[in-house]
Amino acid sequence: MTTPSFHEVEQLSAYLDGQLSPEEIMRLEAHLQADSSLRALLGDLRQARQTLRRIPQHPVPRNFILTPKMAGIRPPLPRLVPALSWASAVAAILFIITLGGNLLGQLSFGATAPMLAAAPMTSQGSGLVGAPAATQPPSMDNAQLTPTQQASLLVPPEALPSGETRSIAPAPANKAASNPVNLWLFVWPSLAVLLIGSALLIRWLTLLAFRRKINKK
Amino acid sequence: MDESGLIHDAQHGDLNAFNSLVLAYQGIVYNTALRILGDDDLAADATQEAFISAFRALNSYRGGSFRAWLLRTVTNACYDELRRKKRRPTTPLEPGTEDSDDIESPRWLTDPNPSPEDQLDQEELEHAIQHCLENLPNNFRAVVILADIQGFDYNEVAVVVKTPVGTVKSRLARARLRLRECLQTFGELLPAAFRLEEERGL
Repeated sequence: MTTPSFHEVEQLSAYLDGQLSPEEIMRLEAHLQADSSLRALLGDLRQARQTLRRIPQHPVPRNFILTPKMAGIRPPLPRLVPALSWASAVAAILFIITLGGNLLGQLSFGATAPMLAAAPMTSQGSGLVGAPAATQPPSMDNAQLTPTQQASLLVPPEALPSGETRSIAPAPANKAASNPVNLWLFVWPSLAVLLIGSALLIRWLTLLAFRRKINKK
Repeated sequence: MDESGLIHDAQHGDLNAFNSLVLAYQGIVYNTALRILGDDDLAADATQEAFISAFRALNSYRGGSFRAWLLRTVTNACYDELRRKKRRPTTPLEPGTEDSDDIESPRWLTDPNPSPEDQLDQEELEHAIQHCLENLPNNFRAVVILADIQGFDYNEVAVVVKTPVGTVKSRLARARLRLRECLQTFGELLPAAFRLEEERGL
């Protein structure tokens, strides 16, 4: 009589479950006949196993069926979702442009008056500064002046008118383009509203289709 | 509709098909959770949680024993629950391991409403088994519950607990050894039922 090894315990346990091969069964049964402690252990294990099998199964306290909410079933997203998300981004950008345009418009209208007043002054000033620079060198050395140098010296006075027109440009340009700007200020928000409206419409149609499908089921 | 048809439909989002599977398996799922956790409410919560996660993970089921796949989700839900319980322990309804006095004079077994004797025997037996099960390490407990209480074969148990069949075999043997020792301490407490088993077993 020896204390059974864990391997023997394992074999006995598997023997009870019918999980041994015919050779293993033969070998184990021969051991069992020879060893009473092994037989006692088999009895104990069988008893534990059968006791467990006697534990009653309880009735379920309630049904565990899932509701659509529990299952996380949400109405499907419209197929146009990627396009709509781009549309909403574009709508947001347009809105910012419109808002920015409005603000800038107010600011620039306020600023154009001093700019207009300042523009002639700067043009005159630059003209005055440019003129001596252009006029003096020829007086110093007229003979050495090449046509190209003359041309280059003539550049500042030539550039001046363009500078003048540039600095003065905003005011007349604003006035000239005031109609198109107003038109865009109207177009951008309506485009944004249109995009948002179509997104909502598509979402609503998808939800409607989903509900109809659920009710059919 | 047959099981594979229901599974197929459920995998394609048919909640009604899935709920048919829920009705078919809720008993075994709930009772497994009940034996692992030893508490009705926690078992119900784990069962519901298991079905919810099973529905969401249904596409990961690729054939084989569906009940084994399902029971894996419930054992996982139970392990999560046990971990939570460990973090915030509550007052136990049944004696702890070290409370040997309680085992000798089990005030937790006394029923305020006396019931017929057999019923009391049955309840005592159940409490004793549950107490012994709860003294087992988690992975031993799951194996013995699946094999001996739910009657799963070794291969199915291996699928549920995600271990090789050899490990199932040795865990089951160890679990039975420990249960035998634990149940022996209840020998006098469980006269009718246990002795009956003893006679039949030997």
